[in-house]
Amino acid sequence: MIKPVKISVKNLGVNYGMIKAIKGISFEFNAGEITALIGSNGAGKTTTLKALSGLLGHTGEVFYNDLNISSLSAPERLQHKMALCPEGRGIFPNLTVTENLMLGAYLEKSKSKIAELIDQQFSMFSRLGERRAQVAGTLSGGEQQMLAIARALMSEPLMLMLDEPSLGLAPVIIEQIFQKFEELKNRGIGLLIVEQNAHLALEVAARAYVLETGTITLNGKGSDLLSDPRVVEAYLT
Amino acid sequence: MKKYIIFLVLVAGLGVVLNSFLNSYIQAIFISFIINAIMALSLNFITGLADQFSLGHAGLMALGAYTSAVINKEFLGDQWMFIPVGVLAGACIAGVAGYLVSLPSFRLKGDYLAIVTLGFAEIVRVVILNWSHVGGARGYNGIRKFPDFLLSYGFAVLLLFITFMVMHRLKVSWFGRNLWAINEDDIAAEVMGLEIAKTKRYAFTISSFFAGLGGGFYAHHLGYISPGSFGFIVSVQILIITVLGGLGSLSGSIIAAALLTFLPEALRSVQSGGLDLRMIIYPILLILMMILRPKGLFGRREVYEWLPARLKTKWGIKQ
Repeated sequence: MIKPVKISVKNLGVNYGMIKAIKGISFEFNAGEITALIGSNGAGKTTTLKALSGLLGHTGEVFYNDLNISSLSAPERLQHKMALCPEGRGIFPNLTVTENLMLGAYLEKSKSKIAELIDQQFSMFSRLGERRAQVAGTLSGGEQQMLAIARALMSEPLMLMLDEPSLGLAPVIIEQIFQKFEELKNRGIGLLIVEQNAHLALEVAARAYVLETGTITLNGKGSDLLSDPRVVEAYLT
Repeated sequence: MKKYIIFLVLVAGLGVVLNSFLNSYIQAIFISFIINAIMALSLNFITGLADQFSLGHAGLMALGAYTSAVINKEFLGDQWMFIPVGVLAGACIAGVAGYLVSLPSFRLKGDYLAIVTLGFAEIVRVVILNWSHVGGARGYNGIRKFPDFLLSYGFAVLLLFITFMVMHRLKVSWFGRNLWAINEDDIAAEVMGLEIAKTKRYAFTISSFFAGLGGGFYAHHLGYISPGSFGFIVSVQILIITVLGGLGSLSGSIIAAALLTFLPEALRSVQSGGLDLRMIIYPILLILMMILRPKGLFGRREVYEWLPARLKTKWGIKQ
């Protein structure tokens, strides 16, 4: 089993110039668990993930277990096994599926290890294996999302942050993808899922946070929030 | 191995034909085509592969040209045998300069490189303009040339071959893949752990080196250089060639260089009386080409990718 890891975020703040996008939020998520961060447009969900993965400078602190990683850059955070699957998938459309995956293992130098990781992804996402030589831009939306997840998995993350994985996908495909998330969770990986599709996210999440204009207004077990009248009124009706 | 022998025979044959049947005017155009091709390849590496817009290749070319010319005349005894040494030195100086320029530029995202390189090229030009030791505005005269065309031709083809092979190897390597990734989605690339600024710096340094190489040879081809030969318009001409060939298509750059070098010369015959049709036809052709092939002649693909599959496997080209 993978060692227990906990990411704790303390008083995280992000400013875009004069505008405070995130106003000091605190939350935590664990390996082997699905955590959901829900909220409406402009609540700051993507900003939170970008700050967590080191793409944006932020105030406040991020702890990896007891280690303060607040000052680390994106590549350095990746070495601490924190991977981000960016919004809008962010695959490289003109590279082949295999090349996309190879880039995911950028920090891994051993070729045999990379080949092994690629095989691992292909056994998890068999559709990608069938299309390994195809240019990624010609994949369907669902396949592209799977590729983005597989690529993030190439860095063997303990903590996987997913930005809107259900965006623009058919319900059947979303179901498939969320099944994969359960699989990953059972492998001991911690997932932080940012979603607008609150219902879906709350169903699978052990713990969930509701983000509204830069602050966390509610948190609790996913199933509890699912029946919370405030959440129901704001996001589920 | 066989394909290299065929290539060598073709190159030698072309050289003999140029040397014995055609006049020095056409020979000179052919050499300038090769220089343009080297410059376009150099720019394509940074603008096509890494999507970093540079408007300063004339400045890098000037550095290569002046370095090579001065070194040959003042330190290597003005001998034609040592021209390659000078050209290599010029390329190295341009490479170092490119690295220094890239240090501050790639801390920023976006099109800042275009502005920085544009400024850099102007600084180089103005410094040379005011530096009397290298001739200032009068230019630098009496640069040693190769004694005959075949030598010059051989060296030019060798330079182009080296440039193309190095860039091509890099393009299909992991380094090229990283550049593509940055080109297509820099946020995703950063999330993969790519050090974007560092990768771009390497790419710009390599590009600068080859720009200096082209510039160095340019000096020894013409025998005379002046700050005016490296103005802003030269950077733009290189850019036009690169865009026309297709951003990211190395072989496209060579073909576009050939087109845009020979075409204006071929159109000289339509000059009649006071009417200069050449400057009407040439721009119209450029506009037409951009309308018909907006991504350049070959997009980002190489010419050989259009070959039938049978030939590709026979020649050992990876698909």
